[in-house]
Amino acid sequence: MINCLMPRVIVCLDVDNGRVVKGTNFKQLKDMGDPVELAVEYEKQGADEIVFLDISASNEKRPTALKLVTDIANHLSIPFTVGGGLKKLNDVKAFLDAGADKVALNTTAVLKPEIIDQTALAYGSQCVVVAIDVDKKNEELKYYINGGRKLVDKDFYQWTKEVADRGAGEILLTAMHKDGTGSGFDNELTQSISQQVSVQVIASGGAKNEQHFLEAFQQGADACLAAGMFHSGEYRVDQVKQYLIDNGLQVRI
Amino acid sequence: MTNVLIIDTKAGNLFSLRAAIERLGFNVTILQQPNAEFFDAIVIPGQGRFGTVINNISKNRWLDYLKNAYENKLPILGICVGMQIFFEASDEDPNINGLSWFKGKTQALNFPKKPMVGWATLSSQLKTWANKSVYFVNSYAIKESEHSIAETTYGETFCAAIKKGSFTGVQFHPEKSSEVGSQIIFEALTAGNTND
Repeated sequence: MINCLMPRVIVCLDVDNGRVVKGTNFKQLKDMGDPVELAVEYEKQGADEIVFLDISASNEKRPTALKLVTDIANHLSIPFTVGGGLKKLNDVKAFLDAGADKVALNTTAVLKPEIIDQTALAYGSQCVVVAIDVDKKNEELKYYINGGRKLVDKDFYQWTKEVADRGAGEILLTAMHKDGTGSGFDNELTQSISQQVSVQVIASGGAKNEQHFLEAFQQGADACLAAGMFHSGEYRVDQVKQYLIDNGLQVRI
Repeated sequence: MTNVLIIDTKAGNLFSLRAAIERLGFNVTILQQPNAEFFDAIVIPGQGRFGTVINNISKNRWLDYLKNAYENKLPILGICVGMQIFFEASDEDPNINGLSWFKGKTQALNFPKKPMVGWATLSSQLKTWANKSVYFVNSYAIKESEHSIAETTYGETFCAAIKKGSFTGVQFHPEKSSEVGSQIIFEALTAGNTND
């Protein structure tokens, strides 16, 4: 049977203090521009979704962050996710009510996993993306919280299964060992998780060119997320999508 | 100037929907209960559970209002659950009756992954809809309807849009479907009963 659902190209914008910033390997920040303007530009290029990370990192900046989210909702006509620093169910509610289509939960999901169930119950699974930062060391996969700084001493595979069972709508899987390397997504990793869980898996970390997207989609990624290769101006989203189409994939143009 | 009413079913934020309609140059009014104002078109948004939305619509005196509007051929657009409530029942809340304007029910479908999230292409005989890509977010859908004008397939084929008289229903989210979505909203809110 023909499947009409298409793989998604997602652009990630790291937001700090109301500006888009660029970081590599979870470090070093550089100003890249206005979040609304950049997001609208990526929508025009054909991005399927936008993810805003760290938009809400600190409490004192909360009102500004919420205003920014509403501003984005008023200007964007594709779906967008916000994440970073959402600590309580009330934070999640505030950002969804402000206009976000989905929230990405990472550290909070690990510390208080019931927030996944609670958000899914209150707003539906489709609003809950659980982000998992995983690192590969000595052929072993371990996951981290606090922006990749703190190791969680539990089984990674078990965690991916648990978040799906608790009602996450999607898993955003970032391979830290690939992030900033430009050597492509960890397709083996994406594939193994995608086959194990009943929700869609978004591959993240390592993309540098259009071929990396093609390889990831051919190996079972439901969606792929990238930042740097688009922000640097090296690639446009429509360019990547044209390459995918030329290679026999069906994507939205 | 076209004045559009969005019914606020208190099930989620309406920023994107409002903005999408305003970008078409229409005026938008959001109401939780009917008033005496005249509107050119009505939108029922696509957020919340089947049962909750039906209860909210009934409790806030929208039923007669909507029936009256439909009989007067006012364009009505129902999005996702805002379309599903006009059918007979839903697997999401099996104990609650739908409004039964149309035959058929909303079912838990055999999607490869749940919820269905993302862009899918439409099959349709109609030019506005055929081969267009739109954004879906759903675990339930209407498998078949005699009023179906567009279908899509994810694990199984289901009804992506219906049209009957001045009513247009869409399973996807046109307010999240970029330019294609705008065009669909525009047609639904202006075309009236051209396909009847």
